[in-house]
Amino acid sequence: MGGNSTTNEGHSLRGPLDRPVLISIRDVFNGDEPLATAELDDYLNPDAVEVTFDDGLCDADTARMDIQWTIQNDYKFHYTDSQSVDFRWGEHPHNGDYINVIGLEHYHPPPNASSDPSDVEDSCITQSPEKLVTRAVLKLWRVAYHTNSLAPLNSGSNPP
Amino acid sequence: MPDSTGSDEFADVNEAVGAEWEDETTPYERVREVISRAYTPVSADAIAETARTSPKTVRKHLNTLADEGFVTTGTGENGATTYRRSSESLVVEQAADILDHVSMDELVARVSEMREQISGFQAEYGVDSPEGLLVDRTNQTLAETAKDHDDLDPEVLQEWQTTRRNLAFANAALSIANAERFVNDESHPSDESVLAQ
Repeated sequence: MGGNSTTNEGHSLRGPLDRPVLISIRDVFNGDEPLATAELDDYLNPDAVEVTFDDGLCDADTARMDIQWTIQNDYKFHYTDSQSVDFRWGEHPHNGDYINVIGLEHYHPPPNASSDPSDVEDSCITQSPEKLVTRAVLKLWRVAYHTNSLAPLNSGSNPP
Repeated sequence: MPDSTGSDEFADVNEAVGAEWEDETTPYERVREVISRAYTPVSADAIAETARTSPKTVRKHLNTLADEGFVTTGTGENGATTYRRSSESLVVEQAADILDHVSMDELVARVSEMREQISGFQAEYGVDSPEGLLVDRTNQTLAETAKDHDDLDPEVLQEWQTTRRNLAFANAALSIANAERFVNDESHPSDESVLAQ
């Protein structure tokens, strides 16, 4: 496979960021999750939705999520917290580097949102509209929050 | 500590959020939401699957939305009608949102700042547009003259594309605000600012 820069280029989100979608994602976080406060990093020319959580997962006291979404429907939702736990759901081309990932949707697992090709998993989130992807992220976050475990984040279900 | 906002049981997170959406919206609202993000032509069948309704219902609502100017129709390779979000409707929507949330002074200052940012990219990379940047870098790679150049940073490309798009929305907001000022003035002929134009 190519060098680092080629790989990096092949893994980036395609196209300009989609302002109305970022606004919509901000509104879902603020409307649906009492622990979350979301805002655009710049109202007129936004690069990301920045979400702060009043509490983190497991032992973390605080957490944040940064979200990008482009007009070609590529996205990433990146979580990081005060315990330095990172993970990320994404959808964008990866040159087939992620050997366990069938489509474009994938999941960089905790604790460090690993980008090692053999660590990256298929994402449990397969919905397309930004509102539904955001709600799926929030549902999974809630289950992890209630169970004090990072395991449910990419399991896609919450059995009784 | 977890609070009382319960996490519901669900067998599949995708089906769960889809079913909730279906419960709280009408088919028309879902079709409008899905087509609002379709910036390239799509079929009624594709919209139907995402919007959780029938292709027949989708076509009915898309035709209404096309009459209102929200949707642009076209013809696909197989002769079937295709649909996409109207660019004009998107621009007007974004301009209206900007005018609702940003003061004229700030808008003028930010438009000028974004223009300078674009000029900065043009000067730095010696091309007029992000597309030119891609062509330029491809040619350099093909000619193997790229040894003195860093590989194209995808973040620069994206920042340029994004700023250009959002500057277009901001410019539209400015134009609409200016146009409204004079349209309103014309309906009040005693206002002296009419003479200033």
